[in-house]
Amino acid sequence: MTALLLGALGLTLSLVVPGVLATARWPARAPAAAVVLWQSITLTGILCALGVVLAAPQELVGALGSGTPAGVAALLAALAVAAVIIIRLLASLAGVTHRSRTRRARHRMLVDLLDTAERHGELPDEVPAGLRVLDGPLPFAYCLPGRRPRVVLSGGALRVLDRIQVGAVIAHEQAHLRHRHDLVMESFTAFYRAVPGPLRSRAPLDAVHLLLEMVADDAARRRCGAAPLRSALAVLGDAVSPDGPAEAAGDAGEERRRRLSRLTGDDPRSAPVAAGAVAAAIALLVLPTVILVVPWLDRALSAWPL
Amino acid sequence: MALGDLEREVMQQLWDAGEPLTVRQVHERLSRRRELAYTTVMTVLDRLAKKGVVTQQKADRAYRYAPAQSREEMTAALMLDALSAAPDGVRDAALAHFVGRLDPSALTAAIEAARKESAAES
Repeated sequence: MTALLLGALGLTLSLVVPGVLATARWPARAPAAAVVLWQSITLTGILCALGVVLAAPQELVGALGSGTPAGVAALLAALAVAAVIIIRLLASLAGVTHRSRTRRARHRMLVDLLDTAERHGELPDEVPAGLRVLDGPLPFAYCLPGRRPRVVLSGGALRVLDRIQVGAVIAHEQAHLRHRHDLVMESFTAFYRAVPGPLRSRAPLDAVHLLLEMVADDAARRRCGAAPLRSALAVLGDAVSPDGPAEAAGDAGEERRRRLSRLTGDDPRSAPVAAGAVAAAIALLVLPTVILVVPWLDRALSAWPL
Repeated sequence: MALGDLEREVMQQLWDAGEPLTVRQVHERLSRRRELAYTTVMTVLDRLAKKGVVTQQKADRAYRYAPAQSREEMTAALMLDALSAAPDGVRDAALAHFVGRLDPSALTAAIEAARKESAAES
């Protein structure tokens, strides 16, 4: 019974919940809390998988009678499968982390060599130490996370944005760096790659990416106001994908539309929504433990001599 | 002066020269602006060669150094690296973008067009 419950919960969390949560509107009102909920959903899914693997043979053994060779073999097999799941997750995380570090180190080295920030007088007066400018007409901005972080702007971005807009873009990128959004994305990427094909879903990856952009937008908004960020986002997006392939533009366009609509009007964030999401995240994490413990508690209580 | 700044200046000299330079030539060009030890320039060029951004050729018993790529080529390659996704289509966690996800082929075309434009300007 326990294994069945855990299995049902695990399948619901990996196949049904991501689709529902990805299309929900409320996460835009509490993006950071929504990221925590996504993390909880993923982690609980893993706990359920481990719980099923470990609980199923035990129940089987209970039915067969303990001590039989078949029972011992089933327990050993269960431990082996659980070990494989954990090792696979850790190996995936190590691989993703290592590849990102290597790629960032090389990228940072080249960006430092090609930097032309000294020649750009149109930069705001106060720029972070790690700001680099890449000469080129394509307008864009990004950041390189790590212990020696960089914020990179293209010459094209400096040409189409004014000083205040550039300040807002820098604030957005610095929020990514300060809150180590790269580590969050890496953990979701690692999980995505470790999950076997049929159970794998891109929904968490894409949803969390958008939510992290919203978190960075909120941080930039607090420092520079919504208007410069909104106009910078509109200008950069238009300049990069005016008439790209419908599929790619549609996806990125939808993300941008949702971010822009949050930056129009009052601050969309809501403390009650955030509190609700965090409470749900905690409850979800506790649920597999409850499912495992309750039958045991039940048996223990009924066996109580009084 | 930080080593990183020096590396950047040495690269600038090599790109501006348009032909392979010896350590002495690079040293002369940089010394016009300030005092700099010959061995420092040698170390910097050696480091750049190890990183693969500078090629080393032996000619007339002296090593000559040249950039592995033109400034424009290196910039374009870096932009492509910054804006493209991983091979399996999963968004790469290595870099976070402001502009959102882009189609790599559209991006290559945009960079190509941008390069032609800047070539026509200069």
